[in-house]
Amino acid sequence: MNDEELAIDWTTLQPTVRQRRRIDAHVFAWLEARDTPLAAEWLGLFRVAPFSAVGLIAVSAVAIATATPLAWLARVLM
Amino acid sequence: MITAAMPRRSASSPLASLFAALSVHLGGEAEPLAPLEEAAIARVVEQARAGDTGARETLYVQHVDRVFRAVRGMLRSDADAEDVTQDAMLTVLTSLHKYTPRADARFAAWVMTIAVNTARRRFRRRRVQLTATGELPEIPAEGPDPADGLDRGRRRRALLIALAELPERERVIVSLRYGAELNASDIGAALGIEPATIRKVLERARTRLGTRIEALLTPDGGMS
Repeated sequence: MNDEELAIDWTTLQPTVRQRRRIDAHVFAWLEARDTPLAAEWLGLFRVAPFSAVGLIAVSAVAIATATPLAWLARVLM
Repeated sequence: MITAAMPRRSASSPLASLFAALSVHLGGEAEPLAPLEEAAIARVVEQARAGDTGARETLYVQHVDRVFRAVRGMLRSDADAEDVTQDAMLTVLTSLHKYTPRADARFAAWVMTIAVNTARRRFRRRRVQLTATGELPEIPAEGPDPADGLDRGRRRRALLIALAELPERERVIVSLRYGAELNASDIGAALGIEPATIRKVLERARTRLGTRIEALLTPDGGMS
């Protein structure tokens, strides 16, 4: 078996269309997520689900506002 | 030059590669692109480093199939090869700022260094070995021309069995030669081994692979 014959046999290890599609989807999704700024993510969320986005912001704000005093209170009580 | 493994279509611009990638997303046939010259690859790397996403996708399309073919030769299943290809390509595309061009090695050699390291890291605790009863190839059992598909499937399986019987170093080197289409200098640069040693190992591995594959494909070889 020569160099060229082995090269031909190696083409049988080419990914199938389905495999390539899975690899592409994973890589592009990861890169897109990495490239998207946080502000754009939030804007996207507002566009898709405005009420949920407002709810999420409200819950986050309440959590941030109450976390510090609650932590202080817990330390005092212990 | 490995003419049989050479792709059919050329991509002269990042846009062409982008369309090819999108075509795969939309369910079209995954047609491989013709490899770019090293000077063109260097330009595309610079563009990708500057934040050009089209250039980044060109690099992806140029190397993803090669990475898959190479790691498939090293690993024991299609699923492992898919995982390693994904991780390796992500590392390549997010580490371009670390790439330093070398006179004695092409960009593909750097890509394959990452692919080999990804495969080794991922399977450090697991023996990276195929088994003689490895996965059956993904080919239709029945199709328009079953004889062609069956023959291709038999050859694929014979190659995987023969590869499984090679020592790991030889398996990695032949996978880089035939899967990634690297020459001895590139493989040497990727693995940190002298090109002369690579040539010797390749010659030995090629003989062993050829003998084993031919034995497996004979009527008594257990592949019919």
